[in-house]
Amino acid sequence: MNEKIGILYLDDEEQNLLSFQALFRRDFQVFTTTSAQEAITILNNNPIRIIFSDQKMPEVSGVEFFETILHDFPSAVRILITGYADMEAVIDAINKGQVYRYVTKPWEPNDLKICVENALEKFRKDEEIITKNKELEIANSELEKFVYSASHDLRAPLVSIKGIINVARMEQLDPKATQYLDMIERSTNKLNDFVSNIINYYQNNQSDELQEEINFTTLAEEIFSRYEHYEGAERIAFRKDITQTSPFKSDEHRIRMVLNNLISNAIKFSDLKKSQCLIDLQIIQNKEKALIKVADNGVGISPDVLPGIFEMFHSGANKNIGSGIGLYIARQAVRKLNGNISASSEQGKGTRFTFEIPNKA
Amino acid sequence: MTSLSEIQFHLVDDNDIDIAVNTKLLQLAQISPSIFSYSSAGSFLEKIAENTDAFLTSTNVVLLDIMMPNINGFECLERLSQLPEDLQSHILVFMLSSSIDRNDIRRAESFPMVQKVLEKPLDIYSLKKSLEGILEE
Repeated sequence: MNEKIGILYLDDEEQNLLSFQALFRRDFQVFTTTSAQEAITILNNNPIRIIFSDQKMPEVSGVEFFETILHDFPSAVRILITGYADMEAVIDAINKGQVYRYVTKPWEPNDLKICVENALEKFRKDEEIITKNKELEIANSELEKFVYSASHDLRAPLVSIKGIINVARMEQLDPKATQYLDMIERSTNKLNDFVSNIINYYQNNQSDELQEEINFTTLAEEIFSRYEHYEGAERIAFRKDITQTSPFKSDEHRIRMVLNNLISNAIKFSDLKKSQCLIDLQIIQNKEKALIKVADNGVGISPDVLPGIFEMFHSGANKNIGSGIGLYIARQAVRKLNGNISASSEQGKGTRFTFEIPNKA
Repeated sequence: MTSLSEIQFHLVDDNDIDIAVNTKLLQLAQISPSIFSYSSAGSFLEKIAENTDAFLTSTNVVLLDIMMPNINGFECLERLSQLPEDLQSHILVFMLSSSIDRNDIRRAESFPMVQKVLEKPLDIYSLKKSLEGILEE
C-alpha cells in the first residue's frame, strides 16, 4: 500500500497529541486536534479509518463525540481513551456499538499499537464483507436477469408450437395424425409448464407483495375456464364452493400462481379408473383470512413421498409428468403472503391441499 | 351495432408463424373474412395513416404483439393514442404476449383502447367471447 492509512486522535491535552504523533507518524497519516469541531472537519476531508478520542474533554465527552459522527462515518473504527473513573459511560458506549475498544489512561505505547493493529484488522474485514456483498448482489441480479430472458426466449417458440397444434386440430385430420399431434402436445405442455414455473419462480422472488382487492368468485371462474381446454380436462367435473363475506386484500397474482399449480396437478394426477373425476375448490373467507382447499379424487400420493412434496426437484412424483418444482414454488408464494400450505392424501382415494392466507384489507 | 363479421382484424407480429397461425384460427372460427397482417408495428401505423377513411368507417380489432424489434407493442400503443380521438374510437386493441408479466398488464391497461392482454397461443374462443361482449355494449 503506497498511501498511508489515516488515523485521527482527539484529546484536549496537547502533550498526549504530541506523543501520539511521535508514535504513529512513521506508519500512518496522523491527524490530531483538541477540538471536536475540527475533528469533524478532518473526517470530512480525509479518509480516516481509525478514530481515537479522549473521554474527558471540557466541551463534549468522547462518547458524545462518537455519537455525533456515528451516522456519517459508520465504517471508521472508534476507540475511546479513558480513565477508570468513567467506566460506566464506557460500558454503555461499547454495548450500544459506538465504541470498538477502549484504552485506559495514561496509555502505554505498546497497548496503543496493538489496539491499532486490531482495529485495522477489523476495518479490513468489514470492508471485505461489504465488497463481497456487493459482488454477490451483482452476481445474483445478473443470474436473475439471465433466467428471466432465457425463459422468455424459450417461451416464444413454444407458444408458436402450441398455436400450430391448435390450428391443426381444427382441420380435418386422419386419426394417426391426431395421435401424433397429441404426443407433440403432451411434450410441449410439459416443457411449457416447466418454463412457466421458472418464470413464476423468478417473479415470486422478484416483485414485492401487492395488496389488491380480490373477488374469489371471479378468480375461481377465470382459473377454471383456463383449464376447460386442458388435455384430460373433459372427463373432470370442476366444482366450486365459495363463501366471501367481506372485502379481501392480498396479492392476486401469487394466489393465482398457487391455484394454477394445485389445479393443474389435480388434473395431471386424476384417476382414469374412476367413473367420474372430481376437482373441488373450496374458499372460505372472512375478515381475518382466507382458507382455500383444492381436493381431488385422483390417484393420491404415497405416504413415504408425501412429506417431501414441497421440496425443490423432489423426485417422488411421476417423472413423466411433473418437473418437481411446481409445489415448491406454490409454497414459496404462500409464504410470501405470510400464509401456510399443507397436503393430505390417501392413495387411490385422492389428495387435498389446504392453504391459508391473511386478509390485508 | 356492429356484428362480428364486419370487424376488420389487424394482426401485428414480427413472428411469421404466429401470424400464420392466428390468421388460420380466425378463418377457421369464421369470425370475419377481413384479416390483415403486418410484420412490424411501423407498417401497421403507416397503413392507418394511408387509409384513415377505411379505419373511420369500420370497427378495427388489433391483435398486437408486445415483444417486437424497433417499435414494440407499447411504443405502438403510445403512437396510436396520439391519433385523433374519433379515429381511436374505431380501434380496439388486444395485446398478445408469450408470457404475461404483471407489469405489462398494468402498463397495457393504462391505455383506454386496450381491451385485454391475452397470453399466446391465442385462445380464439375467449377472444370471440370478449368481442361479443364488447360489441353488445
